[in-house]
Order: sequence, then C-alpha cells, then structure tokens
Amino acid sequence: MEASSWGELWANIAIFKDAIWAAGLAGALLGFIGVHVVLRRMVFASSAIAQAAALGVALSFWVPALIDPIGHAAGHAAGPAAHLMPSPLFEPVLWAIAASLLATLVFIANPVRLHLTRESMLGFVFLVSGAGAVIIGDKITQEAHDLAAILFGSAVVVQTIDLYLVSAATVLLLGGHLVLWRALVFVGYDPMGARVQGMPVRALNGFLFVSVGLAVALCTRALGALPVFAFSVLPAMTALAFTARIGWVFVLATVIGCFSGVAGYAVSFRAELPVGATQTATGAVLLTAALLWRLVMAERDRRRARNQPPSPSSSRPTPPADRASTASAPRTDAA
Amino acid sequence: MAILPSFAFTVGAGELWAIIGPNGAGKSTFVRTALGLARPIAGTIERRPGLRLAYVPQQSALDTIFPISVIDYVLMGLQGSGNVTLTRRSVHLGAARRALEEAGAAAFERRQLRDLSGGQRQRVLMARALATDADLICLDEPTNALDAASEQEILALIDRLRGRRGAAVLMVTHLVEDGLERADRALLLDRDHGVALAGPSAAVRAAPEFEHIYGRFVARHGHA
Repeated sequence: MEASSWGELWANIAIFKDAIWAAGLAGALLGFIGVHVVLRRMVFASSAIAQAAALGVALSFWVPALIDPIGHAAGHAAGPAAHLMPSPLFEPVLWAIAASLLATLVFIANPVRLHLTRESMLGFVFLVSGAGAVIIGDKITQEAHDLAAILFGSAVVVQTIDLYLVSAATVLLLGGHLVLWRALVFVGYDPMGARVQGMPVRALNGFLFVSVGLAVALCTRALGALPVFAFSVLPAMTALAFTARIGWVFVLATVIGCFSGVAGYAVSFRAELPVGATQTATGAVLLTAALLWRLVMAERDRRRARNQPPSPSSSRPTPPADRASTASAPRTDAA
Repeated sequence: MAILPSFAFTVGAGELWAIIGPNGAGKSTFVRTALGLARPIAGTIERRPGLRLAYVPQQSALDTIFPISVIDYVLMGLQGSGNVTLTRRSVHLGAARRALEEAGAAAFERRQLRDLSGGQRQRVLMARALATDADLICLDEPTNALDAASEQEILALIDRLRGRRGAAVLMVTHLVEDGLERADRALLLDRDHGVALAGPSAAVRAAPEFEHIYGRFVARHGHA
C-alpha cells in the first residue's frame, strides 16, 4: 500500500481539521497539567483515570443494551446514528466523566486505614477498568470498534461535539491552571509550609485532581486512552529534561504536548499508522532527544569542571557530607 | 488517646524554645498541633489574634524532583491566604531579596535549591521564614545533616531572627546540648516515659526527667 502524501492531508484538511484541533488542544491542556502530575509522582493516576474513562464509555454503550435489548437492536438496524445516542442519559462523555471522577475520588482517598498505599489503589482502579472495558467490549460487538478506538486512540476523525468539549475544557481548565500554577507548585512542593501560611491546600488539591479527572475524561472520549496518558506524562518529562526553570517547564510542556498531538496526527496520516500510537511515539521521540541532549550537556559540564583550575576558595577540603566533618568532634548530642 | 501528659506553657515574643526529646517522643505531633495543623485531643491552644506563623521544614522533606530556584522558594514565603496566586511577583521580589541578603544567601538567588550544599540550603530555608515576617517560626531540625561550622552559622541566624525581628522561635532539635545552650526555654517530651516538661532551659536540664531520658553523661557534660 502506498503511503499518503502531505498534499493529500492538506487537500482533505476540512475532514481532518477537527481531529487535528482536538489533538493540539488536548496535548496543550494535558501537557500543562501533566507537569503537576509528574512532579507529584502521580503518573499512573492519569493512566488509571483514562482507563476508567474508557470503561465509562463502554458502560454507556452496554447499559442501554442491557436495559432495553430489543430497542437497542432496533436502533442498530435503523442505522448507526440511531444507536449512538439513544438518550442524553447514556451520552458516552457523561459516563466517561462520571467514571473519571470516581477514579479521582479513589486517588484522593487515603487508604492508610486499610493498610494500603495510593499506588496499590491506583493499580486496582487500572486493572478493574481495563478488565471491565475488555469484558464489556466482548458483550457489545456492535460498538466494539468504537471502544477499541477509545482504548487505543484511533481518532482519525473526531465528532464536532467532542471538539467543542475539549476546546471548552482547554479554555476553562487551562485558564484556571494559568492563574493557580504557582499556588499548586507551592502546595505540591511543601504542603505543610503551605498550610501553615494559610494556603487553601485542600481546595487547591481538589481543583488539581478534579481538573485532571475532567481533562482526562473529555480527552479520552475524543482521542483515546493511550495518547491521553502519553500527553499527560511525556511532554512534562521532556520539558523537565530541557530546563530547570519552573515557569519554562510549564510553557515547554504545553508547546511539546500540542506539537506531539498535531505532528503525531500528521505523521500517522502520512505513514498510514494508528493515530494514538503515533502521537504517543512522537512524544516518546521528543523525550528521548531531550534526555540525550541532557546527557551531552552533563558530560560537557563535567569536562569543563575537570579542566578548570581549582579556585582558592575550593582548595579547602570539603567533606562529602556536611555532617561527616563532625564525626571526630566530641559531641554529647542525643540521637 | 492522648499521646503526652498534660502541660501548660506560654511562648512570648522573641523567645527561643528548644523542643527536645528522643525519637518518637511526640515532638512532631506537638509541632503540628502548635501550628494548627492538628487538633489537640484534649486541652486548648490559644493564639494571639492575627498571629503570623511560618514553618521551616527539614531539608529531607523537600522533593528534589521539583526544579525550584532559590528566589522562587523564598517567594513562596510571601504566598498565603491573602496572596494565594502570588500576583505581581515583581513587587515581592524586593522583599525576597532582602530576606536572602539577611540570611547570607543572596549569592545563590538564581541557583536551584536542590543543587546547594546542606548549609547553603538551610540558609535559604531560613530566608523564606524571614520573608514571611512571621511572629512565630517553627524550625524542624534546622541543623540536621550540617557540618559543625554550618550548624553554628544557622544557630547564629536563628539568634538574629528573634533578636532583630522579635519573632518567637520553636526549634525542634536533636542537638540537646546546643539547643539548651542557645534557647531561653525548653520543652522536653517523651511519650514513652510520660514526660512533658516545659520551663527555662537550665531548669529543664537540671530536672531528674532529663537525666532519666538522656543519661548521666549528657546531663553532666551539659553542666560542665
């Protein structure tokens, strides 16, 4: 099979523009929020939430069939449009949001009383959601293709309503994050100090977790779980490899997320590859390049430091650990 | 269930309190309660209306994955209930730089907090407390993992903090001797032995509970 050309993509841009916009906006939104996700070491939260969103979509297909199997089958017979939205109550995006927020609640809850860690609860959410989506996917053969698209991200075209929802989420959530990013960094970095200084730590954390849940749910419905997980992790990692200035980390992560979404879509069209996987691979290539650049810079700095003559101030021997110099001093401090 | 026996004391302006006790004595619980982060199971804590608090964490509590510059860290001290988002950052830069200057850390302004040595980092942590202009500052093991020279520098900085600003300081420390020597007052805690003793440092050092907890050697050496 001959690969498509860039000209063909441009010629058919009217068909694909919604998907390209959705990918760019989702990449930007998740790239920005992903900085908090990565810094707070809750990378697998976004994966588990995305998986839960996919389960929510699967349930939105399956529950109507369970409640009214005859009407559902009749809807299928009438045509694709008839069964896609049997009722506003079974709108997939609502189920995706509900499942995401439920998963977010599990993440927020502290399971220490159950002698469990947050990570283990996230594993539980991920596995239940993944297994549930596969099992339900087996029951809804008519929508199995849609479900596979959501799980693995094959969003060649995106429904207009999904683009509107992703756009609205980007404007509202990104706007909120732009206002609150310093507060969220403070609360994540030194939660106790932030509480002592009167920062509304719970409200800020609540905003962060709910915004992660909403962003992941809406973007998963539009693009699929795999690229959503990728956008919420890889751009932030890449930005952290490139710069150590916290403000620039957010800017770079947003730009890299947007670029991964758009460029990944274009490459998938050109090479006729699955969209979500190609967007993920684009993000991974950028991260690999950033890590290599970081290694080269570290090696350059190491060589420079080795070649520099010792300064007078550094001639005084410095102990490897500050405390080590006190080892021989007679002290009576209690442990 | 109450962790510590009942005790009562008042922290006055400009006082330096050393909070001492063995590991697991209840020092952290006391500090969290004093700072209003945990409710006392029994009893009350009264704070002067409008009292401003600051907390200086242990260095090990700060995650090195965060790319936080020294100036950004000190600027965090200017965030709070009245300035959550730190709008008009440039307006606050002056106050942050003055605090760094006072802590002797102005030269590190642009460096990453995680790249500094233990002593340098502790100065920056203290600078944030200075920037808050707090009335009561709680320091959690401020001399932990420092060399002897840095220890003395930090203890001198604490003296300046309360002397020039009139701030009261609660210092959790494992350096019993230095802590008692520098502090006006001390709080000795040990939940295992049911000890909660507050008073002037010399009185706490002379108390039989002190010798019981720390042994004869520390007590005698302290008196020498």
